[in-house]
Amino acid sequence: MRTTLAVCVAAVGLFLSAGPAVAHHAFTAEFDSAKAMKVTGTITKFEWTNPHAWFYMDIKGDDGTVTNWGFEMNSPNMLLRNGWTRNSLKPGDVITVEAFGAKDGSHIGNAKAVTLTSTGQKLLAAPNQN
Amino acid sequence: MAFLTGAKRSQVSIAAMAMLFAMAGTARAQWLSLPLPGTPRTPDGKPNLTAPAPRTPEGKPDLSGIWHAEDNRFVDNLAGEGVDIPMLPSAAALYKHRQETLGADKPQVRCLPHGVPDAMLVSMIPFKIVQTPRETIVLYEEFNQYRQIFTDGRTLPQDPNPAWFGYSVGKWEGDTFVVDVAGFKEGTWLDNGGHPHTEALHITERYHRSNFGSLDLDVAINDPGAYPKPWKAATIHFKLLPDTELLEHLCENERDAEHLLGK
Repeated sequence: MRTTLAVCVAAVGLFLSAGPAVAHHAFTAEFDSAKAMKVTGTITKFEWTNPHAWFYMDIKGDDGTVTNWGFEMNSPNMLLRNGWTRNSLKPGDVITVEAFGAKDGSHIGNAKAVTLTSTGQKLLAAPNQN
Repeated sequence: MAFLTGAKRSQVSIAAMAMLFAMAGTARAQWLSLPLPGTPRTPDGKPNLTAPAPRTPEGKPDLSGIWHAEDNRFVDNLAGEGVDIPMLPSAAALYKHRQETLGADKPQVRCLPHGVPDAMLVSMIPFKIVQTPRETIVLYEEFNQYRQIFTDGRTLPQDPNPAWFGYSVGKWEGDTFVVDVAGFKEGTWLDNGGHPHTEALHITERYHRSNFGSLDLDVAINDPGAYPKPWKAATIHFKLLPDTELLEHLCENERDAEHLLGK
């Protein structure tokens, strides 16, 4: 078991050290690495689908208005290799996402990490940064 | 079950559910991380990636395994960062357009394939080589695609129906697996930067497995329809992913296209 875990960690390490992903579209065509954001909100939907998993969350602004944002992650396979499962997020979960915002200013982002408020667990979302 | 009391029945079902959950966890671990037979190991049980490359019963190196590019350098630009490959005017215009539009019309954006060799070059998406005496099969995890490299002595087809991955035949030169690929359709890009090609493209790949954990690839591009003279990429390095398996990956939910920007 210890060996299995070590191998698993080594494999994840390999992928993390492999650099930004460019799986199927260019990060620069959609997101802006200068628009780093870190926000907390409540999950409304989680789509565990190829080529990119997406989750949606309600974010409350300073003026109290609530806006629904969508965040793109990498493919479910890459997320599985980073410790995610299709059950990692569910509606109602309060999370903090670290992400890059969209170039066109729409309410979407490219998530690089998600932290669940209830457990403190941080999951890496292996974003496209290229 | 009929003779069990209600209490016992619920105990049984709780135990069954607990076992199901335990099995679900194990199944995931056993698919993504499992000790495969044939993996050489160091005394502490870890895969020995510097062990000699395995060989087939015929004495040839066996390239079989799950591999991934060590970084994204070559999928970004097969020619190498800052390297300008001379192009014919039509190819240069197409390349300029693709650069200016930040790859917004790249085939993968519409769930269409990468090609040769760039389907192997996305570092976070592995591929599997299955080497048999008469053909070597490359299984690309991304989009569940495959390629067949025939080693049964056949030659490349004359005037074939153009194909995304072309047609491949391979032969051994010493310990190097030399693959000729032609018969491409124009839809693929040589890299995400948009190096174009025409149907006249002929690629020569030279694979060399230097040890259990390392595979090197030299690629030569010869396309008189796009480039005035043949050119080569620098040696591409792949690392073995030991004790794991590919996962299904179908492009089912494309939704980026509407957000992509470019000039």
